[in-house]
Order: sequence, then structure tokens, then C-alpha cells
Amino acid sequence: MATTALTPAAAGYRSGLYDWVTTTDHKKIGILYVANSFLFFFLAGLLALGVRAELAQPGLQFLSDEHTYNQLFTMHGSVMIFLFIIPMLAGFGNYIVPLMIGAPDMAFPRINALSFWMLPLGGLLLFTGFLSGGAAAAGWTSYPPLSEDRPLGMVGPGQDLWLVGLILIGTSSILGAVNFLVTIFKMRAPGMTLFRMPVLVWTVLVTSVLVLMATPVFTSALIMLFIDRNYGGHFFDPSTGGNAILWQNVFWFYSHPAVYVMVLPAMGMISEILPVFSRKPLFGYKAFVFATAGIGALGFSVWAHHMFTTGSVYLPFFSLMTFLIAVPTGVKMFNWIFTMWRGKLTLSTPLLFAIGFLTMFLIGGINGAFSASVPVDFALHDTYWVVAHLHYVLFGGSVFGVFAGFYYWFPKMTGRMLNETLGKVQFVLMFIGFNLTFFPMHVLGLEGMPRRIADYSSAAGWNTLNLAATIGGFLIAASMLPFLWNVFVSLRSGKVAGDDPWEANTLEWATSSPPPPYNFDRLPEIRSERPLFDLRHGRAHPALTPPAPDRTQQLPAGH
Amino acid sequence: MHPLRHPKYAIAVGLLFVLVGLVYWLVPEIGHWHVDYAGVTMLATLGIAMALMAYVLIAGSPNE
Amino acid sequence: MTTDTHALTTEHSPVAGLAHDARGGISNPVLGMILFITSEVMFFAGLFAAYFNVRANAPHWPPTEPAELAEHFNLHAEPWFAAALTVILVISSFTCQFAIWAIRKDNRTGFVRNIAITVILGVVFLIGQLYDYSTIGFGLGDGVFGTTFYTLTGFHGAHVFGGVIMLSVVLYRAMAGQFSARHHDAVEATSLYWHFVDVVWIALFSTLYIL
Repeated sequence: MATTALTPAAAGYRSGLYDWVTTTDHKKIGILYVANSFLFFFLAGLLALGVRAELAQPGLQFLSDEHTYNQLFTMHGSVMIFLFIIPMLAGFGNYIVPLMIGAPDMAFPRINALSFWMLPLGGLLLFTGFLSGGAAAAGWTSYPPLSEDRPLGMVGPGQDLWLVGLILIGTSSILGAVNFLVTIFKMRAPGMTLFRMPVLVWTVLVTSVLVLMATPVFTSALIMLFIDRNYGGHFFDPSTGGNAILWQNVFWFYSHPAVYVMVLPAMGMISEILPVFSRKPLFGYKAFVFATAGIGALGFSVWAHHMFTTGSVYLPFFSLMTFLIAVPTGVKMFNWIFTMWRGKLTLSTPLLFAIGFLTMFLIGGINGAFSASVPVDFALHDTYWVVAHLHYVLFGGSVFGVFAGFYYWFPKMTGRMLNETLGKVQFVLMFIGFNLTFFPMHVLGLEGMPRRIADYSSAAGWNTLNLAATIGGFLIAASMLPFLWNVFVSLRSGKVAGDDPWEANTLEWATSSPPPPYNFDRLPEIRSERPLFDLRHGRAHPALTPPAPDRTQQLPAGH
Repeated sequence: MHPLRHPKYAIAVGLLFVLVGLVYWLVPEIGHWHVDYAGVTMLATLGIAMALMAYVLIAGSPNE
Repeated sequence: MTTDTHALTTEHSPVAGLAHDARGGISNPVLGMILFITSEVMFFAGLFAAYFNVRANAPHWPPTEPAELAEHFNLHAEPWFAAALTVILVISSFTCQFAIWAIRKDNRTGFVRNIAITVILGVVFLIGQLYDYSTIGFGLGDGVFGTTFYTLTGFHGAHVFGGVIMLSVVLYRAMAGQFSARHHDAVEATSLYWHFVDVVWIALFSTLYIL
């Protein structure tokens, strides 16, 4: 088959900055998402350093009052969730999914661009709170009556800016989800049936369903709170017939599926990386796909486990459902471990971060299962145990997954390899720092230290562990330095990557690094979930592969 | 055609959530405990939305 | 060669009439619109959830406090205006569908005429809704009844407004000679949205005025 390589110059009719600002190319948009998300990661990380610096020792050392502290942890959580992890994973999906399915772009390129640009704007709205008398300070969960504007609550625009910023960011997410679903279902290359798609595409699919269905519910809650605060509404005001617990109900109906949105694509990335560096296919492809779908479905039925102590929750139902969700997650653990078992491991940086993901997410899953038990949760709710749990799954899980994916796909995105030594230094510093910060929080939670307090008494006996956690936090910050240096140096003079530096399995490695604007000059034959492996080594015996789908078209009458 | 390919079976995923919503309403209703109408509404509507989404994604996919 | 010669998008399937692309399957913009509509269904789910929750917690519904507004809260007594609005919206859904059938058969006059009628009916609905707000006797701040009523109907009205804008754009493009039987994705997508808006109103009307 003749190649039809368009020269890159032919497409480059727009200059530098203008091109980046107006692009509708999913690859550039993906890079914009990743860069924007890292920016917010660092900003929210600084806020966390502020929190840890204050908590290192008893007494208010740095902050003048608790209200500033409340803004720090509120903004830390909100920015990390809505401006870092969810968009970061969407950005990786944006870059990789069309390449993995052999498509030239996403289904709606201009909506794709719109989805991205709503993010810096939303972030700006959130941070403007700091300049307008105080940012949101009611926690990322924003429970009324604290988040209302009534005497007890948050007067001032910060909370409203938070609400409007999140409505904007949520809309960006929803449009992205529509884009992903149409792309995945309509634009796969010939031969790529649903069960030949890479698992990352499957996890993005399930994530997009979760985003599509759950985020609008969050939007409705944000709007109801906005109406309460600004138009004299009474949704969450018990004195006039409203119900403060209603907020929690509607909020968590979104926010629980949201945590799966925050982790499933990272799991997908790990599932692409482990087979490549174990030189073995993913163990149990179909089981993995069904487990992912199971997590997505069950994820909608557990939301009130965040509300066990309110007294208005049907406890056995939610406790049971929460325990059930451990099952498909456990299935995936087995998939990953058996992928590596007896494989020929190459301990590259992506693999190190992937193994970090497996071990840390396992711990996070186990301490979450403790909380699924109602009596245990009654004791541990709103203590540092929960902080430990959420950081083990979100940082130990998703963030490690993000870095694994970053080291793995950076060569494809830029054409340059990242430096392995610097990568390993980052991994070691980050792994130690992370565990030093968050492991003590299990003990602090069991000893009764509540969340979201700016200060504590020496008499409680929490001093040493808090100090250890703060040191760990600064170690995590330090681990960012070799990372940033690595990116800077590799972009300028890293080793040239070539099409397929990792000897991988999926379609994105069948084109140049970086790919041309239209993605592929030609596609290899797709007869399994590892088209590149097949291309390199020849297909398994034809009798062992299922027959190719019949593409004889039956167009409806009139066409 | 394999059941997993036919659009009308895709609706099952939505009906699953309607069923969960039904259970979520029935058990407290029969036991005379507190019924969470917000949760019931959200689960039932989720089922309808999921059924529509699943149907249209499968029915609207290319024939391969 | 497969023995099953029924493609997923034959005349027998409900999605058959919707726009196709060359590889079979419905067109991307139409699929995108349907998925967006499912997300909007969930948006209204949150609002309805709030309504049912608040209603279940209320000692009386409609509320008897504050006493001077209690009679205004009793929407069951005078549902006629809202019923009229319902009829208008349902008719507009029919005219919208007539327009779709017309453009699928390349009947441009029928298409333009029916879209124009749909736009007009949509505007009439909006004006009617605003008139209803002005005469209904309570406001958004009047207890949780007022809040839920205005939020639900208000956001529905906002969606109607969005739909009217979409229909107007379609009307403008149609009058400018765009769209053909083979090529009218925007019309299909807009009409799906308009039907959705109608269905939400029926759910709203049933919940607020009948239940």
C-alpha cells in the first residue's frame, strides 16, 4: 500500500502561540490539558504545604486565623480534584484514545477545544476568591449550613466564585465525556471491535459514562446552593422547610462516582504499561473489562457511605454495596499481579511508578474497606483516617498512575525520551515522601485527630506524627525538582525516541513520535488487542483467532 | 446476533438501576423506616438515562 | 458472509430514520446530542430529587405556612393555565416532528413552515410562563415551595429558551436554502432536544400540578 505522507509543513500554516491557542487537534489539546493540570497540581501542592507547615507543631505559627487555614485546605482539595486529577486523566485520554483506536481525531474537535479552555477560566474564577475577601472555605464538600450565606456561613463572593467556577468546569467535563463516547463508539479503525480495544480505551469509556451521568447532578446541587446564597432560596435551610442533608445526598451522588472518574483512567494506563514492561499480555482482558464496568455500575450505589453518621441513611444497603465494590477492584489487582508473574520485567521508570500504584492503591483500598463497616466508620468518620485513605487511593493510586503514564507517553508526545536516572530519583523521593506523609495519618485517625482543624493541643500526643507528615510533605515537594529538571532537559536534548521505543502493543506506537496531524499514514491490520505485537511477530495461528467481522454493508433503503 | 450486540439488550443496564432504585424505595417503605426520596429519584432517573444512552450507543454504532 | 442480513440501522430500528453516515450507525452530531440529552436528564434528576426530598419532609404539602400564601401554593386548584402551556408545548413537538418528516422527504416548504410554527409556539410558551410567574402570587424566596417551584420551572424555561434559539438558527439556515434530505443533522439534533424539553415539561406538570 502506498504511503501518503503529507509534509508537516503543509499543515503548519499558523504560527506558534496562535496555533496552540486556536488548535482543535486532539494531540495539542491533550498536551494543553496535561500542562494546565500540572500547573494546578503545583498550585494545590503549595496550598498543601501551607497546611502541613501550620500543622507541624501545635499552635498557630504561620497563619493569623483559622479562616485562612480553612481556605487553604478547601482550595487544596477543590483544585486537586477538579483542576488537576480529573482534567489530567481527560488530557491523557484526549491524546491517546484516538491514536489507540486508529482515528484521525476526536469526534468533535471544536467542542474538544472548548472543553479545554473552560478549565483555565474555571481555575481563574476559583482563585479569584483569594483576591476578593477570601476564597471558598467550607471544605471541598461545601456542606450547608456552613456554605450558606446565613449568619453561620460564608458571606462574601469566594464561595460563589467557587460554585460558578465548578459549574463551568463540570460542563467542560460533560462535553468531554460526550466527545469520548462518540469517538470510541463511532470512530474505531476497521477490525477494532469493542473487545479488541486497549483497556485504557475501555476505562475512558466507563469513566465517560460516569461523568456524563453523575456530573450534571453535581451541577444541579451547585446551582441550588447558589440560589440559596444569592436569590433567597431555601433548599438547604431547615428553618423554612429545607434540608441540609439534602445537599450531602445530591453532592455525594456525584462525588462518589467522581472518585472512580479520578482513578479508572489511571488504572487503564497502568494496564497498558505493565504488559509492555513484563513482556506479557494483560492477564484476563475480558475479566478486566467487566470488572471496570462493574465498578462503574456499583459506584452509583454507594454514595451515602459518606453520610453514615448523619442518621438519615439506610445503613445496611450502603455498607453492603461498599463492600461489594472491593470485589471487582480485587479482580483487577489479580489481573495486574498475574500480568507481571513470570514476566521478563524491565525496571524502567514507568514500571516503577506502576508498581508503586499497585502497592499504594492496595493499601488505600484496604483502609477504605475498613470504613465500609458502619461501626468502624462511626469512629473514624471525619478523622485523619479518611485523609489517609483518600490520599492513598488518589495520590498513591492516581498520581503515581499519572506519572507512570507521563514517563511512558512522553516519548510519543514529544519525540524525546525522559532521563531514566532522574526519573528513578523522583520515584524514590516521591515514594518515601508520600508514605512518610500519609502513613502516620492512619495512626492519627485511630487516635482521634479530627480533619480540617488548624491547630491541636500538645496534650493529645499527636505532635511527632504531624511533624513526620510535614517532613514527608516537603519531601514530596522536593521530588518535583528532579521531575521538572528532567522535563526541561529532555525536551531540549533528550534521546530521540523513534516510533516505538518501548516495543509496545497498541496502535499509537505505529506512527511517528510525535504523530503527524492526521495521526496515521497507514494502519496495521487489527485482529487482536495487540495489533503492533501481531505486526512484529506475526499473528497466532489463524485457526486460533476468531473470524474477522463481516463488513458487508447493508445500507437502509434509499441510500 | 450475539445478545451483547443487540440494542434492546443494552437497555438491561439501565433497568438494573431502576431495579436498585425500586429496592431502595421498597425496603424502607415496607419496614416503615425513613425513605430517601432524593436517592430513589436519582437512581430511577439514572436508570432511564442509562437505558437511553446504552441503547443509542449500541444501536448507533457501525455494523462491525 | 453473515447469515443475519439485518444491519443495526435498517428501517426496523427506531434509529433508522436518524441521519446516517457512510459506515452505518447514526451520525456523530445526532449521537452527541442524544448523549448530551441524557446528561440533561440527570441534571433535572438532581432538581427533582431535591423537590421530592423537601416535599416528603414537609408536614403539609402544599405548605400551609406562611398562611397568606397558602392558597397560592395550592396549584391543584387552578392548573388550567399550566395545562394550556402543556398543550402548546405538545403541539410544538408535533409540528417539530412534521418538519423533520418533511425535510427527510425534501419537502422544503413543509419543513420551513413547521419549524416556524414550532418557534412561534416555543416563544408563546415562554411568554406564557413569564405571565404565570407574574400572577402566581408567590416568589422564589417564599419558603421551600417557592424555591423548588421556581427552580424547577425556571430551569425548564431556560432549556426551552435554549431550544428556541436552536430552532431559530435552524429556521434561519432553512430559509437561506441550507439542508436537504440527505444532509440535515442539525435539524435532527435540534428536534431531539425539543422533544426532550417537552418530555421534561410533562414530568414537571405532572409532578407540580397533579401529584
